[in-house]
Amino acid sequence: MSNATIYDVIVCGAGHAGCEAALAAARMGAKTLVLSGNIDTIAQMSCNPAIGGQAKGHMVREIDALGGEMAINTDVTGIQFKLLNGSKGPAVQAPRAQNDKKAYQFRLKHTLELQENLTLFQATVTGLIFQQGKVVGCRTNLDLEFRGHTVVVTTGTFLRGLMHIGKNRNEGGRMGDYSAKTLSASFLEVGIELQRLKTGTPPRLLGRSIDFSGMEEQKGDEKPTLFGFYDTRGDEDLFHVEQSGETRLGWPAGQDQVSCWITHTSPETEQLVRENLHLSAMYSGEIEGTGPRYCPSIEDKFVRFADKPRHRLFLEPEGRNTNEYYINGFSTSLPFDVQVKLVHSIPGLEQAVILRPAYAVEYDFAPPTQLYPSLESKKVGNLFFAGQINGTSGYEEAASQGLVAGVNAVLKLRNENPFILKRHDGYIGVLIDDLVTKGTKEPYRMFTSRAEYRLLFNHGSAELRLLHHATRHGLLPPDRLQRITHKKDRIEHWIENLNRERTSEGTFGEQVRRRDPSVQFPPGFLTETDQIREEVLYRIGYQGYLAREIQQIAKMSSLEDLPIPPNLDFLSIRGVKRECATKLAEIRPVTLGQASRISGVTPADIHILMVLIQAGKGRGVAAPEPV
Amino acid sequence: MSFLHSADTIVAQATAHGSAAISVIRISGPLAPALVQGIFGSKTAHPRRAHRGNYLDQGGTLVDDVLYTLFPQPHSYTGDHVVEISCHGNPLIVQKILQDLVHRGCRLAEPGEFTRVAFLNGQMDLSQAEAVIDVIRAQSDRALAAAHHQLQGALSSRVTKNIETLLQVIAHLEAYIDFPEEDLPAEDETGPVRTTRELVKDLQRLASTSRYGALLRDGVKTIILGAPNAGKSSLLNRLVGHDRVIVSDEPGTTRDAVEERLSIGPYSIRLLDTAGIRSSDNKLELLSIEKTMDQVEQADLFLLILDATLPHPALPGALRDRLNASNTLVVHNKVDLLPPTSTTLPTWHGLPEVRVSALTGLGIEELENRLQATIDAFNPLACEEFVAVSARHAEALQEAARALETALAQWARAEPAELVASHLREALHALGQITGQVDNEAMLDTLFSTFCIGK
Repeated sequence: MSNATIYDVIVCGAGHAGCEAALAAARMGAKTLVLSGNIDTIAQMSCNPAIGGQAKGHMVREIDALGGEMAINTDVTGIQFKLLNGSKGPAVQAPRAQNDKKAYQFRLKHTLELQENLTLFQATVTGLIFQQGKVVGCRTNLDLEFRGHTVVVTTGTFLRGLMHIGKNRNEGGRMGDYSAKTLSASFLEVGIELQRLKTGTPPRLLGRSIDFSGMEEQKGDEKPTLFGFYDTRGDEDLFHVEQSGETRLGWPAGQDQVSCWITHTSPETEQLVRENLHLSAMYSGEIEGTGPRYCPSIEDKFVRFADKPRHRLFLEPEGRNTNEYYINGFSTSLPFDVQVKLVHSIPGLEQAVILRPAYAVEYDFAPPTQLYPSLESKKVGNLFFAGQINGTSGYEEAASQGLVAGVNAVLKLRNENPFILKRHDGYIGVLIDDLVTKGTKEPYRMFTSRAEYRLLFNHGSAELRLLHHATRHGLLPPDRLQRITHKKDRIEHWIENLNRERTSEGTFGEQVRRRDPSVQFPPGFLTETDQIREEVLYRIGYQGYLAREIQQIAKMSSLEDLPIPPNLDFLSIRGVKRECATKLAEIRPVTLGQASRISGVTPADIHILMVLIQAGKGRGVAAPEPV
Repeated sequence: MSFLHSADTIVAQATAHGSAAISVIRISGPLAPALVQGIFGSKTAHPRRAHRGNYLDQGGTLVDDVLYTLFPQPHSYTGDHVVEISCHGNPLIVQKILQDLVHRGCRLAEPGEFTRVAFLNGQMDLSQAEAVIDVIRAQSDRALAAAHHQLQGALSSRVTKNIETLLQVIAHLEAYIDFPEEDLPAEDETGPVRTTRELVKDLQRLASTSRYGALLRDGVKTIILGAPNAGKSSLLNRLVGHDRVIVSDEPGTTRDAVEERLSIGPYSIRLLDTAGIRSSDNKLELLSIEKTMDQVEQADLFLLILDATLPHPALPGALRDRLNASNTLVVHNKVDLLPPTSTTLPTWHGLPEVRVSALTGLGIEELENRLQATIDAFNPLACEEFVAVSARHAEALQEAARALETALAQWARAEPAELVASHLREALHALGQITGQVDNEAMLDTLFSTFCIGK
């Protein structure tokens, strides 16, 4: 049976990627359908109950600057806020929040429900429908078919998801949920390659069975650093959904913060791990997928860092209305009976009751080098991919891609140029460029060290950096765009003013740069908002560094701005080595800049490509100057 | 990547390397007009007209009397602003001017870069596109061959080792930046600081091999000194292996230096029999101070030929001051004519010496061995490895060393880690210009294998 409606955008999946994709598309006015196998798990935090942190927190602020929902949703359902990295410098500081998992989900589900142009429907997608090299819709387990001009796939770990606890195996993308088994076949049918990745999650414990008395308490910041930009929002932007008459779950950001707790493994833990290593799914060869290096299982920690006597563990509350705790740093695929002993070997957890066991999960992902920077498939037109299916890890990475894919699905419909964030625009640009250019061998997580222009990416500047993108594609309400523009003007005004105006101690700028504590700013500056003053002082203080990064961007831009014609036959180019030509043909870079980042492509190859592209444009008729 | 910076001003010698009557240095890019003004102080350089001027370096020292021509864009070879400087064809002058221009903000051009810029600026038509590809390919193949050679040689392994060390320093810093909540060992920067200091030294030492590299590339300029009757010519003929140096018995008839090339071990030696030194009253004199001293200044090595049967001639002071134990070999010739009883010879200012007979060939092999050993010793890394870097590599190495020094200074001032990291990354990028850019994955590999990350 086929539904008569033809949607503009169908989003398969309603995790962090799916929600942002659907909201972005619907807010741009596209008729959007979200299909989820279980609408009670919309925006589920399948692993840790936290959002943000290094680089990830930066990305959430970028999502906010591009009209996404993750920032506000985190702020109003957060139960603890911390600004990380106070001592390493302002550019790498980032907000992190512990969240009430259920509140986070409920509020986001409610947001989807209330969103104009958006239809939510519970059904498991079993396959895609293709016509002439394009996707035109999808089939579901209810024998209902849906037609759409574009499809965004955000299946997370559900594609042939297989969970391991020791020798025990269960099909599913997450404990308690199903596995999307037939969808993989749909991709293979049209030549989209799939590979396996692995990730894991720790046990969840009953809070009243934990003895916190010997643990170190970790409190939130008294003055929370939030993810959303509120100085440029009017009430109408902030509460646009509430204005429809419904009140969503949530509380004033930063209210009633709760604590996390720190404990450590014991020598007994290590001994138990070593004795039972052969029973671990990871170590017994049960698992073929590659796991993340930055999130090793407890088995891995003891094996790979044998000289480290103990490992730190965090107990994080999963919400206000639950007594469930997450043990951060304790993911494992050991059998359940061993897990129980392991947990009991930890100081404070001697009597702890496990509510959910730890497990490892393997799933299919589609190597992202098969995508354009718009996140559209190179193999199948109008088909977009976002989130863990692209080999990433993390809610923030998923949400970022979802937003970009959703916007691009709409732009594709409108026949407009795609929305492409570049490496110098922010972390989301780095994320997508890395994925489509280099691919990934482990679940990809963002780190600040991945960004070449890290000092330009201080979290407070996200709105300003991305303003032209938000404006061009209408991603923010006009009044907010206006406020951001005004804020940007004020900042530029004060940078110019403070660098020009002098006192007996030199210009204000010089005083800022030598961190003169006695600097007396002009009264007009002191009455500006905190956000404006912080950004002005940041840019003045780091002036030389920022100028250098901007100069580097300018140098790269001549390559970045040179598009490679889509029909260029890399294999027939004279002078390019075969091995390199094959790689280029496989990845099909869209710009010379992207080509230059592919490993094995030499400067000489880039020169040859450049000449060919320019020749193809038919440039160059001026007579050469005699020398 | 270091190529294609249209924002950069590039510079290179446009004429062939080595000594010639005139050498042309070409500058292309946005800085060109300002450079003319800065160097020659002229307010108005008429477009496409040659002007005469004194090339003063940034310190205000006169380098040479030159002709310069400004070609404003787009009417130039490359289509960008171009300045061409014609200077005297002396490699030392060319090198000084190039160095000065780099200090003034130019970048040494990549092979074929002028041609490529010209093409991209539309200064060539379509039919030339294929030809440009050939140029790029030929040059890149040559560059590849050279790169390959260096890969197998010590430079690449030295730089790769330095990169690995630097990656460890960066990984150390980044671990504390990117993973603030991890249970890492207490942060202690003494190790990384010490490593960075050693790195700076090593990079500077490597960079200093560029002079030795030039010796390898351009040949070792060697001046033969000695009275005509000391047997210079016959020794020269003996070393070269054929009678090519024709000498008149009339002193001073040879107007210019006679240059002969010979190979000794890996080196190409350019032997110059200077015309500017004559002998009278058992005394060697400089005929024309300026001209000869120029050659003496540029020489890498001296062979002082003495007639073992005669008393030693005296050298003019300016010349004698140039000679030292590391750049001079004293050759006692005609030892076959000595009476068998005379076993000791007076030394010449204690400089190293060899005893030969150009006539019989006695001691010639020893002379060759000593020559090679003397040149080997020019390599600052002599005993360790056979390394010599090009000027471009030296520039990259120095850039890396400077960035590391800045990082050290920032560390000492307890500046935020993100700024220290920024300089360390700059150094990594500079080293990447020699070996190819280092993927961030390599840093993460080091980080994750060093630190247990996993909150």
